[in-house]
Amino acid sequence: MGFGATPRQTVERQIALAMSETPWSRIGWRNLGRNRKRTVLTAFGLAVGFFAVVFIVGWTQGLMVEMVESATSLVNGQIEIHDAEYRPDRSIYDTIGGRNGTDVDALLRAIDAEPTVTAAAPRVYTGGLISSGQATSAGMFMGIDPVREMSLSRFLDPLVEGRLPESGRNEVLVGEEMARQLSVGIGDELVVVASGADGSMANDLFTLVGVFRTGLVELDATFAVMAIADLQTLVVLPPERIHEIAVATTDPWIAGATAERLGSVLPPADRPIEVVGWTTLNPAMVEYVALGESMNFVIIIVVFTIAIFGVANTMVMATYERRREFAVMLALGATPGSVRAVVLYEAVALGVFSLVLGAVITFPLMVWFHNAPPDMSWAIADVTLMGALLSPSLRVEYDVLFWIQAAVALFATALLASLIPAWRAARVPPADTLSAL
Amino acid sequence: MVRFDTAQGHRLIALFTLGCLAVWTTASAQPDPRDIVERIDRLMRGDSSRGVATMQVVTEHWERQMTMEMWSLGTDYSLVRLRAPAKDAGTATLMAEDDIWNYLPKVDRSIKIPSSMMGGAWMGSHFTNDDLVQDSQLIDLYDVEVAFDGERDGESVWELRLTPKPEAAVVWGHIEFLVGQDDDLPRWARYYNEDGELARTMEYSEVSEFSGRLVPAVMNMQPADKPGERTTIRYEELEFDIDVEQSFFSLRTLQSGR
Repeated sequence: MGFGATPRQTVERQIALAMSETPWSRIGWRNLGRNRKRTVLTAFGLAVGFFAVVFIVGWTQGLMVEMVESATSLVNGQIEIHDAEYRPDRSIYDTIGGRNGTDVDALLRAIDAEPTVTAAAPRVYTGGLISSGQATSAGMFMGIDPVREMSLSRFLDPLVEGRLPESGRNEVLVGEEMARQLSVGIGDELVVVASGADGSMANDLFTLVGVFRTGLVELDATFAVMAIADLQTLVVLPPERIHEIAVATTDPWIAGATAERLGSVLPPADRPIEVVGWTTLNPAMVEYVALGESMNFVIIIVVFTIAIFGVANTMVMATYERRREFAVMLALGATPGSVRAVVLYEAVALGVFSLVLGAVITFPLMVWFHNAPPDMSWAIADVTLMGALLSPSLRVEYDVLFWIQAAVALFATALLASLIPAWRAARVPPADTLSAL
Repeated sequence: MVRFDTAQGHRLIALFTLGCLAVWTTASAQPDPRDIVERIDRLMRGDSSRGVATMQVVTEHWERQMTMEMWSLGTDYSLVRLRAPAKDAGTATLMAEDDIWNYLPKVDRSIKIPSSMMGGAWMGSHFTNDDLVQDSQLIDLYDVEVAFDGERDGESVWELRLTPKPEAAVVWGHIEFLVGQDDDLPRWARYYNEDGELARTMEYSEVSEFSGRLVPAVMNMQPADKPGERTTIRYEELEFDIDVEQSFFSLRTLQSGR
């Protein structure tokens, strides 16, 4: 061979030099154009895979966000402040600060001063009976401060009908289902009976001024809402004795940290006060969200595992067709590594093309489903899950980190699918292949 | 959580009647529990009564004393009306068959206790609505056996064990009654939950004569999980086989304030 004396490394260097002007990447990219139909179909496979994972995960996260939002703002707050003994028995006697109660206004001021707190509302709870005519229901009475409550929870806004209770007038709101069971309407008189904190049989007449609907059947059938002072008067609790302060923060996921800070800044009381975030109150939901997030990766793996075979098929075909070309390259002195690089660059180029295609398909739909999710209520009723109400909309959430993960997965798929074809291309025996002409 | 209260007098009378069962069981050396049950049944069905009692309720948070007047007819009807304290005077409870109604003088309304609230406390006491109704039907709801017959603490007693019949919807796993053989009066009743744990104990004491019958004048109910709490009922007056019609046990009477 004429080149015999020439050190092989020099040739390699020369080729590498030549190729750097027209790098392997360009060859790879151009190869995509050799069979455009096939390239587009393959890219569509990857793009749809990308769309599927981003959209499914976006929708799952949309559900999670709605679930958490519903669980922490429909009726409950993101943080609840109680007497340490209050949960789980919820005894009427376990008021914040114990038997002597607490300075509710000072407590609310301290809570409002916390920068991440957006709203705080005091509440009094007790169980009892609510009756109209022949019909009587067991009820959970909730005393609220209407102004504060409206900035915290959503269930009283909007009301099905009527208005909020005014303090000192024995006015009550009931859930839609309770109103139906009691056959009552706005303006009707209801008998409210409960155990007084002094042991007496507390009872009084209340006027129905409003009907609310949470969508949670149990709440709508059992909750009756009145002004906090009226409920305190009924069950013989002084104004400084309340059972709960519900707190909202700017983001449900900082509730735990905010609860901890609140716990340390609240004014001291006769008895320990418990400040708990919803993540402590509803650990099942936290686990459910975590489960949903781990499912994201399962979805990525499943979708791209399917895609990997499609891409591999394409790449095997494409490289098999070009065996002669690889043979020529190798015969001309290209190293096996360069041939591998050509195939892998082709895979990367396919990945880029697929990703662009995927983004073009995915993001307009994401924007649409995020901002104006189709309402599926004509097909599916509201779902109640772990005390949260889920409306049947297909709203998706944005998650840039996950998009990047999905894009990486897409590239990984394209590259993994090309590994074997690339290695096989590099091992094409030049003489045999060319002589088979 | 929800601790609402209902009517109780029936239970008192029913439990009380159980005390009276002993009167009927003296003759037999080998008591047949079925026989006892039938006699209780006959006794209770034929019985009517009127009484005045005080009820003292002691809880962790408050202590109250109430005075009440009560009437009963058979196992199915009774009426209890509070006479004191003034704040609650006039408040009344009617049990007619399986239903319990409360009359609230302050709002001048009667409300029927929904079945979901039958487990609630009556007038803040340690009695529930449910065991009023169910105690008047013990024989329908429970199988009775003599679990022990002999000496205990130097006294001849029978221990009766009441086990719910398979289809009976009751809250207790079983109930034990201790009955003295000498005076045929109950000493105590112990209520066990479905796990077989003691839930509460009723003690009968101060045997006194009312209308020619010897009965325990004091009943003391103590929940097992709250040692400091109790409800004590003490009969001041008690008369039997009074002249009372079924029509007396009506919503009209309940609301009349009589």
